[in-house]
Amino acid sequence: MNQYDIKKITDYLWELPKKGGMRVPARIYATEHMLPHILSDNAPQQAANVAHLPGIVKYSLAMPDIHWGYGFPIGGVAAFDVNEGVISPGGVGYDINCGVRLMASKLTREDIQPRIQKLITELFNNVPTGVGASGQLSVSKSELQRVVTKGAKWAVEQGYGTAEDLEYIEEHGCIDGFDPDKVSNHAWERGRKQLGTLGSGNHFLEVGYVAEIYDTKAAEALGLFPDQVTVIIHCGSRGFGYQVCDDYLMVMDRAVRKYGIVLPDRQLACAPVQSPEGQDYLGAMRCAINYAFANRQVIAHYTRLAFERALGKGPAEIGLRVVYEVAHNIAKIETHVVDGREMKLCVHRKGATRAFAPGRPEVPAAYKAVGQPVLIPGDMGRYSYVLVGTEKAMEETFGSTCHGAGRAMSRNKAKKTARGRDIGRELEARGIFVMGASRRTIDEEIPEAYKDVADVVEACDLAGISKKVAQLRPLGCIKG
Amino acid sequence: MASGYRQIDHTGDIGIIVTAADRRELFALSARAMFEIIADLSLVQERSQWPVTVEADDTEALLVRWLSELNFIHITQERLFCRFEIHQLTDTRLEAWVYGEPIDPNRHIIFTEIKAVTFHKLHIRETAEGLEAQIIFDM
Repeated sequence: MNQYDIKKITDYLWELPKKGGMRVPARIYATEHMLPHILSDNAPQQAANVAHLPGIVKYSLAMPDIHWGYGFPIGGVAAFDVNEGVISPGGVGYDINCGVRLMASKLTREDIQPRIQKLITELFNNVPTGVGASGQLSVSKSELQRVVTKGAKWAVEQGYGTAEDLEYIEEHGCIDGFDPDKVSNHAWERGRKQLGTLGSGNHFLEVGYVAEIYDTKAAEALGLFPDQVTVIIHCGSRGFGYQVCDDYLMVMDRAVRKYGIVLPDRQLACAPVQSPEGQDYLGAMRCAINYAFANRQVIAHYTRLAFERALGKGPAEIGLRVVYEVAHNIAKIETHVVDGREMKLCVHRKGATRAFAPGRPEVPAAYKAVGQPVLIPGDMGRYSYVLVGTEKAMEETFGSTCHGAGRAMSRNKAKKTARGRDIGRELEARGIFVMGASRRTIDEEIPEAYKDVADVVEACDLAGISKKVAQLRPLGCIKG
Repeated sequence: MASGYRQIDHTGDIGIIVTAADRRELFALSARAMFEIIADLSLVQERSQWPVTVEADDTEALLVRWLSELNFIHITQERLFCRFEIHQLTDTRLEAWVYGEPIDPNRHIIFTEIKAVTFHKLHIRETAEGLEAQIIFDM
């Protein structure tokens, strides 16, 4: 076990003070109860390592779902001065703009429970999942160039969903500042056949219902009501994003030597935001951000069609609308108030979600009074949460909060735990119908393999960096 | 030390430790170990062969590049590979023939997708009996 010199700031906030080459302290959001587990691996050291990077502002932050990543911890937030600071592909992760879309319908649990098996089968047949899944969509390189410059808007123009959907996506489903010339041929090639696919690993599409409401006013603003049928889509930029990350890790490895940046870990490879390398990565990464926005928009369309076919109802009757869509692997240029003055920052969120406060211009008009919705998926057997951003998040975490449960078991341990059991049957007995690309995928993703997301969400709520609005429980799920 | 490989756990991801008598064998076995994670190789036959050439700044980066390139070809050209013959290998360049066949969904079992071959905890180490490599895959 690592020995950390940890200082209590509040009941929900802990600090690793500045030491050695750290330019700022590292801070971890957690309850006292969660702390021993967090301190048992290398993630806090990784948060401290991030504090060494040039231009880091205030703190290297860790959310309650922090765990060991590559270079940067997962569940990490770090903001850098755009003029003096750096940008790092490791601070974003391989799955650029991995994120979550929440959709809510006009239906209630009673409407779909008798037909859940049919609905999940229909979803499974229409949303390509799994390994290297190729979609029904195969686009040329020139078309893909339009995808990455328009994001979800490209999908809407092709007939996948409606313009209203765009209102409820972070960045309206398209981030500016993209530069397709900075994307490699390998990335174009990997992205060509994967639009509209979920991918494998922890990605999923879940049908559930609103099980509990904690904040009536916010739930009303978000259009959520008890027993309402919901859909969560969790996926990202597929091979396109993985390749962009891969390509730029190599570029940054050289940039570190070129700019004489001293790193405690080679995987924190980075370059000044304003350097050619930094700007190239930003341009390519934003293409991947837009790819992911388009990907989720296409999947949402397939989802709507699957509902119509399985339930024999029209779109107006089902009324599947976008509540909100968030990114949780991303770096963005944002303006924040630091020590009383406005600063332009490059905010890295790796396994962390933006959680902007009520009134911020980025929050959709309909949610202005309650704050930006935050979507925190749990494992496939328990529950997920809807939260909203807070002023405290603006003050303390550059408007950020947690992103999920985090694994408690490795994939191999999960498979061993599932051996001799029929996980599909077990979940079915609890009223959850699951289909996966392979039995192995389902075994690796058994509920016990994950930490209880309720603890993570509770810690964020108690710390005040986001507020609980509702809990969703699963009825069925497809796994990649 | 016998040549071979085994899988190791790394939180949400999977790694491999490969041991070999020399560098050529190390690179070939690493590729085999990676495809064992991806698919059931007992069902993959050597129906065709393809040339692969990669370059990098140093040996460790070359190993990452080699595996990344094979994963790239597997994903984009929908092929599975089961045998790897390394013809030329320097610190910065590798030329190989790889053997396998196009993916047949009716016959092949694919377990998972590898997002990337990482530099995390990567090492190639000389031991008394030969060489050892550790590679972690982002899943």
